[in-house]
Amino acid sequence: MRRLTERQQAIVFGVALTISLAGLYGMIQAIQPPPVTSKGVLRASLVVEGDGWTMGYLDVETRNNTAFGILLEAGDRKGFSVEWVDFAIPPGAFVTAINGTVNGQGGKWWQYWVNDVYGDVASNRKELFDGDLVQWRFVVSLEGSA
Amino acid sequence: MTRDRIRGAIHRGLGGRRTISLGLLLISLGVVGKLVLLRYANIETVFVASLLAGSVLGRWWTVIVPLSILAILQPLAWGALYPGYDLEAMLGITFFVVSGFVFIGLAGRSVRRRVLLRVKSVALLTTISVPLTIAYDVWTDVGDWYFLFRPAGIDFATVLWWQVPFTVVHVLSSLIFVPLFGSGFLMLAYAPTTAGNPKASPAEPTDSR
Repeated sequence: MRRLTERQQAIVFGVALTISLAGLYGMIQAIQPPPVTSKGVLRASLVVEGDGWTMGYLDVETRNNTAFGILLEAGDRKGFSVEWVDFAIPPGAFVTAINGTVNGQGGKWWQYWVNDVYGDVASNRKELFDGDLVQWRFVVSLEGSA
Repeated sequence: MTRDRIRGAIHRGLGGRRTISLGLLLISLGVVGKLVLLRYANIETVFVASLLAGSVLGRWWTVIVPLSILAILQPLAWGALYPGYDLEAMLGITFFVVSGFVFIGLAGRSVRRRVLLRVKSVALLTTISVPLTIAYDVWTDVGDWYFLFRPAGIDFATVLWWQVPFTVVHVLSSLIFVPLFGSGFLMLAYAPTTAGNPKASPAEPTDSR
């Protein structure tokens, strides 16, 4: 069999690499939760449970229909700080601190539940519906999850 | 005499000016690339810098490059990006990250004899980058599980399952950066140093590999 020249090898490699990259990119897109779009006003509640403190933002009308959006809204209205890192790939907001309580203190970190179900996607990709209860808890364990 | 021996050992370990320049270039690539791409989880240049350090430069650079990059990045990560974690968790996870990237450098070192300025070499590095990326992610998952998730009652299989989308992104990162920076770096490393010496070997003409 004739040996491929460097140029031919480069072409074969380039094609194989392009196919691999396209396949992986397609896979990444397929496994991402879709972005949440605004669907008007809904009623929802939020409870934030820190280390020895609790804040409620109950039965409010809001246009922020994600677990992250309602947290930011509550922080804005009730005057507590929320810090997060916004990742682009995979897309999602990673909450690092609420009201000065920073992830990692005492081995605990911020996690969220919606209607007692543990959040399985980035909080800004978790859509809320009318009557939902969002809980942000600073905990080490998944106790309390459904 | 002892001074000469030490100097000789350092020269053998670090190589000549060109090798040192290339080593520093890889350290810069790892640090700057990671900082620029901070918002893109697992899209990073530390992996490719470590792999090229072992597979092209060899010598002490196999471990100097990953260790130097992480000596700069880890304090930044724990201080600015993920502040507040317990010292035990920070040290434990750092151990897994550092040893993981040193392993990538050593894995690159093991194929060094087969790496030349050839398409095949770029293809080889790109191909091995896939299982190495997966191995690195599984290894660091062990650290994440032990220091972060095990105390929370989460089992290792769940941590691995959560890792899947991030590993897919990490493999994509390796498939982009290894051929991109690998081919450029091979050109730099193997470029002839003088017009009359077109077959000059990588970085060091007297390199014993």
